[in-house]
Amino acid sequence: MSVFPCSCNQTSEKGNPGGDTESFHHFFEGWISEQNQHLKDLLVVGEELQSVKDKVVEHYESYYKTKSRCAKQDVLAMLSPTWTSSLEDAFLWIGGWRPSMAFHLLYSKSGLQFEARLQELVQGLRTHDLGDLSASQISQLDEMQKRVILEERQITDLMAGHQETVADASMVELSHVASEMIRANERGEVEESKEFEDKVESTLVQKEEGLEKILQKADELRLGTLKAIVNVLTPKQAIHFLIAAAELHLRLHEWGKKIDARKENHGTGEGKNYNSSI
Amino acid sequence: MAGICCRVVGEGDTPNPLDSSSRPSTTRRAMDIVPFNYMADMTVPESSRKRPKLDLNDTDDQLQNDQESSGVKVMKKDSQFVKEDDEDVSDTKSLSDDDSSEDEECPKYGVTSVCGRRRDMEDSVALRPFFSLDGFHYFGVFDGHGCSHVATMCKERLHEIVNEEILDEDDNFEWKLLMQSGFARMDEEVFRRSQGNQTFNCRCELQTPHCDAVGSTAVIAVLTPDKIVVSNCGDSRAVLCRNGVAIPLSSDHKCFDPFSVVQPDRPDELLRVESKGGRVIYWDGPRVLGVLAMSRAIGDYYLKPFVISEPEVTVTERSDGDECLILASDGLWDVVSNETACGVVKMCLKSQKPPTPPSPGGYVTADGSDRACSDASILLTKLALARHSADNVSVVVIDLRKEQGETSVPTSNYVNE
Repeated sequence: MSVFPCSCNQTSEKGNPGGDTESFHHFFEGWISEQNQHLKDLLVVGEELQSVKDKVVEHYESYYKTKSRCAKQDVLAMLSPTWTSSLEDAFLWIGGWRPSMAFHLLYSKSGLQFEARLQELVQGLRTHDLGDLSASQISQLDEMQKRVILEERQITDLMAGHQETVADASMVELSHVASEMIRANERGEVEESKEFEDKVESTLVQKEEGLEKILQKADELRLGTLKAIVNVLTPKQAIHFLIAAAELHLRLHEWGKKIDARKENHGTGEGKNYNSSI
Repeated sequence: MAGICCRVVGEGDTPNPLDSSSRPSTTRRAMDIVPFNYMADMTVPESSRKRPKLDLNDTDDQLQNDQESSGVKVMKKDSQFVKEDDEDVSDTKSLSDDDSSEDEECPKYGVTSVCGRRRDMEDSVALRPFFSLDGFHYFGVFDGHGCSHVATMCKERLHEIVNEEILDEDDNFEWKLLMQSGFARMDEEVFRRSQGNQTFNCRCELQTPHCDAVGSTAVIAVLTPDKIVVSNCGDSRAVLCRNGVAIPLSSDHKCFDPFSVVQPDRPDELLRVESKGGRVIYWDGPRVLGVLAMSRAIGDYYLKPFVISEPEVTVTERSDGDECLILASDGLWDVVSNETACGVVKMCLKSQKPPTPPSPGGYVTADGSDRACSDASILLTKLALARHSADNVSVVVIDLRKEQGETSVPTSNYVNE
């Protein structure tokens, strides 16, 4: 059983909020190497289907628990992750994977397994893998997919609304006053106001709080979708799904890092630079 | 209602998708129809009001509502279920009250309709057995574009209109005229509604008040004791499997692509569009005015008169070699050939137990034929998804095989032409 490092929590207890980004980065590295190990466990799973499945789902839960804690301290870091590659960043939806993507993952894996055993399935034999989704499972998954897409849209709209508040009256006014102050400074007129700084600070804090709430909803939908799909599947099917999810996540991460490293080597400087342990 | 629609909610498990603890053994056969007693349980909550027997419109509405609420389901059906009251699903005595139970045999069918890889569900499916005269049954698939509301209206109304047209006829059915008139009326209703102030309960509601740019394909099959009448408008398709051979009963109204070596199927449609002054323009494939990839549809008023709602109608005499009829949206046909689809359904029907003759008062939940249709529709849907269909997928499979012990029933009221 893996122990989840939660340096994020530790640093906050030490009263060092500045270290959160670094610590989540560290946590992520640990988490992803655990995911690597779990993938190996999933591939050799025997009788202990249920416990391995539960372990992997708990691993995802721990990820979002830690992420949520860190987001409360520094939501901006969570929305501009340093621990992912630029390839992964390009496909981010509100700081993570798009929930509706889980159904595509499922359909794609299911399709591959279905085509591989088509003859048997048509003859009414069971293969017990994702190609063998029953009528009721397809029905439940389809229903779930529609619901997830709806919620995803609602959260996207929330985010749109919140992003638009960047240009709300108070922001525009504050930016104007701040600019005036800079201009006054340039003219040599010293005009500094602690009160004004506080006002900017509190306004920006509100923006961050808004982001944090939206990120929270997005992460809840991500974890909820994953768990709901796993629950509709039989334990054996769930193992196949979790394998596909881990493989996609791990390989995408690797491919992205490779691209970034290549850019780094070519000196284009566009790639993301980070020191990853795996 | 209880009997007519058995939406399978798990392989005997609870309907709660989050509860996996009650998941049954995985050794159960794929796509099992739920056990009958469970089916009765499921429908109890809907059964607070008692409806008159054989109130088919009502039951069917319920069935449709059921469909809306879940998008995909497997219908389990036989004539005995239809006669049942909600509360008395397990009361076998009520069956004998029904005088017509021996006259009308409900066709066996299965349906699957899923969102698939699209973000919006715009397909609708209508299943209306006993929608008109004795022995007449109606099935339809509607693939909406722009929004879902035209497809939804077709699902809700077209069978009623077709029924009225049928009742207006004398015994000598002019199917082509009848269907053309029916589709024209449907198209008018959609138009009137789009001009009115009524709002649609759909996503385009706020975007385009008049919803001009919304339409739907329609492929409908009217099954009579001796005929299969298919009317088609758009690129959904009906395919008959007869003696193992796939026979398309409709021809897609795709825009003709003169450069296509794959399927240069409808040069006549291109000519028709151009004769009205329309143009087929390439924009992500050939499209009428560069907009719509099909040359006929219900709705789409901004593309009239190039895009018309007039259906093409085929009338096919039923024969003993008929195995099944498949109606599906292009989500299936884009990736699965007619032959493959028929092959899958055939194997599915074959691999099942032969249909058991209905025993008086017996609830044939393990009825091979019905399960076979449902299995076949699910398999075809899964095949479409496996082959990367990017669209909604809707598949209706109707078993046309004559069954032992009931072959004489449907045709007895009719004299073949």
